[in-house]
Amino acid sequence: MPVSAPEPRSPLVQALKPGRHGAVGARQVTLRAYRRSLVQLQARKGRAADLATAVRQGLGLALPPPGRAETSPTLAAIWIQPSAWLLCAPYLAEGDLARSVRAAVGSAGAVVDQTHGKSVLRLSGPTARAVLETGCRIDLHPRAFAPGQAAATPVGHIDCILRQLDNAPSYELIVASTLAEAFVDWLLHAAAAYGCEVLPPD
Amino acid sequence: MSHRLASGGRLDRTRRLRFTFDGRSYVGHAGDTLASALMANGVRLVGRSFKYHRPRGILTAGPDEPSALVELRAGARREANMPMPVVELFDGLEAQSQNRWPSLAFDILSVNSLLSRFLPAGFYYKTFMWPAAFWEKVYEPLIRRSAGLGWAAKEADPDHYETRHAHCDVLVAGSGAAGLAAARIAAEAGARVILCEQDFELGGGLLLDPALEDWRAATVAALARQSEVTLLPRTTVFGYYDSNVLGAVERVADHLAEPPEHQPRQRYWTIRAREVVLATGAHERLIAFPGNDRPGVVLAGAALSYLRRFAVAPGKRAVVFTNNDEAYDTALALREAGVEIAAIADVRPAAVRADEARRAGIDVRSGSVVTGVGGGRDVERVTVARRNGADGESLAADLLCVSGGHSPAIELASQSRTPLDWSDAIAGFVPGQPVQRQRSAGAARGIFGVAEAASDGATAGRAAVAALGLGKTEAIALPPAVARAGTPSEPFWEVKASGKAFVDLQHDVTTEDIRLAHREGYAHIEHAKRYTTHAMATDQGKTGGLVGAAVLAEARGESIAAVGMPTYRPYASPVSFGVIAGHAVGKNFAPVRRTALHAWHVRHGARFMEAGMWMRPAYYPQPGEEKDAWLSVLREARAVRRAVGICDVSTLGKIDVQGKDAGVFLDRLYTNTFSTLPIGRARYGLMLREDGIVFDDGTTSRLADDHFFMTTTTANAARVLEHMEYHAQTVWPELDVQFCAVTDHWASMSAAGPKARLALAKAVQGLDLANAAFPFMAVGDAQVAGCPVRVFRISFSGELAYEVATPAGFAEPVWEAIMAAGAEHGITPYGVEALGLLRIEKGHVAGAELGGHTTARDLGLERMLKKNGDYVGRVLAGRPGLVAPERPRLVGLRPVDPKARLRAGSHLVAAVGDGQSLGWVTSAMPSVELDCWIGLGMLSGGEAWHDKRLFAAFPLYDEYVEVAVTHPHHVDHENARVRA
Repeated sequence: MPVSAPEPRSPLVQALKPGRHGAVGARQVTLRAYRRSLVQLQARKGRAADLATAVRQGLGLALPPPGRAETSPTLAAIWIQPSAWLLCAPYLAEGDLARSVRAAVGSAGAVVDQTHGKSVLRLSGPTARAVLETGCRIDLHPRAFAPGQAAATPVGHIDCILRQLDNAPSYELIVASTLAEAFVDWLLHAAAAYGCEVLPPD
Repeated sequence: MSHRLASGGRLDRTRRLRFTFDGRSYVGHAGDTLASALMANGVRLVGRSFKYHRPRGILTAGPDEPSALVELRAGARREANMPMPVVELFDGLEAQSQNRWPSLAFDILSVNSLLSRFLPAGFYYKTFMWPAAFWEKVYEPLIRRSAGLGWAAKEADPDHYETRHAHCDVLVAGSGAAGLAAARIAAEAGARVILCEQDFELGGGLLLDPALEDWRAATVAALARQSEVTLLPRTTVFGYYDSNVLGAVERVADHLAEPPEHQPRQRYWTIRAREVVLATGAHERLIAFPGNDRPGVVLAGAALSYLRRFAVAPGKRAVVFTNNDEAYDTALALREAGVEIAAIADVRPAAVRADEARRAGIDVRSGSVVTGVGGGRDVERVTVARRNGADGESLAADLLCVSGGHSPAIELASQSRTPLDWSDAIAGFVPGQPVQRQRSAGAARGIFGVAEAASDGATAGRAAVAALGLGKTEAIALPPAVARAGTPSEPFWEVKASGKAFVDLQHDVTTEDIRLAHREGYAHIEHAKRYTTHAMATDQGKTGGLVGAAVLAEARGESIAAVGMPTYRPYASPVSFGVIAGHAVGKNFAPVRRTALHAWHVRHGARFMEAGMWMRPAYYPQPGEEKDAWLSVLREARAVRRAVGICDVSTLGKIDVQGKDAGVFLDRLYTNTFSTLPIGRARYGLMLREDGIVFDDGTTSRLADDHFFMTTTTANAARVLEHMEYHAQTVWPELDVQFCAVTDHWASMSAAGPKARLALAKAVQGLDLANAAFPFMAVGDAQVAGCPVRVFRISFSGELAYEVATPAGFAEPVWEAIMAAGAEHGITPYGVEALGLLRIEKGHVAGAELGGHTTARDLGLERMLKKNGDYVGRVLAGRPGLVAPERPRLVGLRPVDPKARLRAGSHLVAAVGDGQSLGWVTSAMPSVELDCWIGLGMLSGGEAWHDKRLFAAFPLYDEYVEVAVTHPHHVDHENARVRA
């Protein structure tokens, strides 16, 4: 007798208790975990152009060049390495995103489900950049980094895919799930001087 | 008796700060340093020197201080060797003098001073050479007791330290006239500017002249208004590295008793700058003469600082000894503050300023030098004589202000690989043509005078802006130039008279030591430095480094330019270990990696062990087992052998491999073949390094024609992925293969034991686990508790076993469902310890055998080497040394006495006392099946020893255990159980 799958559990739900952390004041940042479906998409040998076409036609999104992310109302694509992207969408049902991407790209790309392998966070607020500067080597100043840009870089000694979302500024931070708790430990500590409001997971 | 002037200075006299020095209480003001506050309280003897334990006072007013070093704070916050002039006074500060016993005034080891004839440069090397056995027991403790300065705290540092990465268009180091002007120009042009100043006030030399205060304040305010300018007082730039990366330390809370909540004590800045302006100023030089280290000897510029900035008179009656005009400013300021000037000894035969001073009624002795200092622990008399030694006169004085000229602070420029050029005009080294995108400005390149430095700084700022392509720069207000007749300084380094003349006060290096080094063949500046330890102390020879080089140059009969300076390296100023470690201490030393089942393990009392970054359950103690971990480990292993156990194996590396050439790719990576593997089957694979040594092993399954799922050992997961990337990108770029790590996406658990099928069959839906339908090495998709799972019939323990993988978010419900299904069979969670025990019983190799020194043949895995087709490591694995028959091969080992313990690391020898090792024990554990210790080992001759006896020798415990050599498979040699 088939049983329906329970809600998958994110390590961030354990690690990230909603509420206020650190200092109190106007300079605080907000931090929130996001439930997302993620797939890694890689072009088959010599099929990069076919893949781009298939994604544009099937998923309504242009695959971004290095260092950038593209978004549609339902999907984001982040360049992560040569001929490879991370696709990110709200979590609906287990395996759905991977199935639909597979259907869209056919033999032009390799699709790997990473929904459980990576955890998605969002850090937002005027001091978000200052918080990240304590552990991130790349230049996030508005003159150097803007919404739509993305980078794969260590943050607080943990490999991270970092994407700027808006000019608040808000940054999406994607880390390996087995390091998510360690990452949150670090991030909350880094934000303590400004104060951090953890919002309930999205 | 207070030496505080009635008015002036940059102090907040309304704020009184209490502090103690050597247990005595004093009061200073906000704006004081520890040095200025002690000086204001009349304290002059503040420390004992390193080698001779000579009395020492305060020589400088900045980070160039060689002598006035203290232990600051108490308890866990105690810090040694803090230079008093950079210690900002705070209420409740505690400081202790260093290097004295039993007290500062009466110091027993000052007897060293009398023995100094026997303590020349290099005396360690000469005296402590023989007998060798004395080193550890006598010499080293003796040196450690008498050398060294302060003592660090033994407790853990309670404060937090932070790191910060910054980027800017222009980094300006130093906030004197040059630095402020450069920063202002760059800021007005719209550049992102970081201005670092080691002092707690911005302004450098501007702080000493009230007439310049308006310009200083206006410029600082203009900078503060710019949103793209970061002003960092209390921040020392200590290192200049490649690619315009600079290191700096911000002393965020050093001026407070304790850091405020959530604030670090110090912050380590890594600054990546497009352009750099070094406006680091200059260091005033000492002059070497007998007694130049006595408390009461103060550099002339420092004396001016104490007068003007801190409103302290450093003495009552002063002699000024100089080779330049600037010291006259000090003399006049001293007189204005009510300090009597006994005489000015100017080495130059004539000077305009000398004539002016004489007209003002000061006794100026041109062509004269100081030949000696009288007094015990303090300056009481100063002897002034002609340069030829004639007409010596002893003058009563309690203060001797010395200036040997100014050396540009070239440390950072030199670290950036800028060559150093000799300047005759200032008798010092100045930065030459920059190598990186940087320029020096103001006194840092020998441009002295406030107006001149400011103008030079503005020029440097404009050059930086032009290099950035930021366009036009605005004109800014600069301090007015003051035209004044002067006389060039005369290079002057040493007064040759009887007595110790120091070139390095902190390391007690004298002019004679330098000459001794030269006589003994250490004539190169780098050799002389190391032989004498000149300029190797925490102050890095800022006041006397060039003086030592000059003494060496004279001994060599060459110019100082030819002798040069020792290489400058980071750190330009001392940096605490705490700030280097930053946040990465204690539990934050490295990130902790947790499996999706971590919380379950915690709830069930697991004891964890570290495996790389991972935390893995080692075992799960049950009531009654708390005192003896073996009870838990053996219970868990027995459950696997007799019923069923379950183990979290999520840490194994997992790699998804796709592409039409995926099979070919794996054939080349593994020594065995994967392109022939049927869909829905797994195969054990062995990988070699390019050099033919075994690299990694694991099982890889085929999910579709062009889709494989690979596993690696926990330890090698990242390395195997790298190895694959390297080969896919550079060796076989023509292959159509895509792969990525999915270790974190899948949680996996191994259910093992004779009852494993019974337990799992109840939990698994959608897959027939019957032996015929799902045989050994089968792979299939199913559900557990409604969650998707992939089941692999593979075994590490040697029992009937299934590995169940599920997307990590379902790990707990799947684990719990299997636990519930296996309850009636006694299912038992087992940890890494039991897992290790089981694999040793089974003779499976792991980290101890795959340690980067074994070949496939060594491990009895030669059948894994395919005969046809190439693979990584094939050619080099055939090297004669790797196929030599005498190489140690994997064997099993059991003590002959069933009660004897076998230890990993033991050597295998033929007889007790035999010094010839035939091999070693790689892994050992008590067996749950054989009721004795068992082990695996590498043994020369391998299977030729089967059923013969040897001794496992463990010399640390003087143990010899007689062992029987067996096949490595201690249990189930026929491998029947995994197929049951």
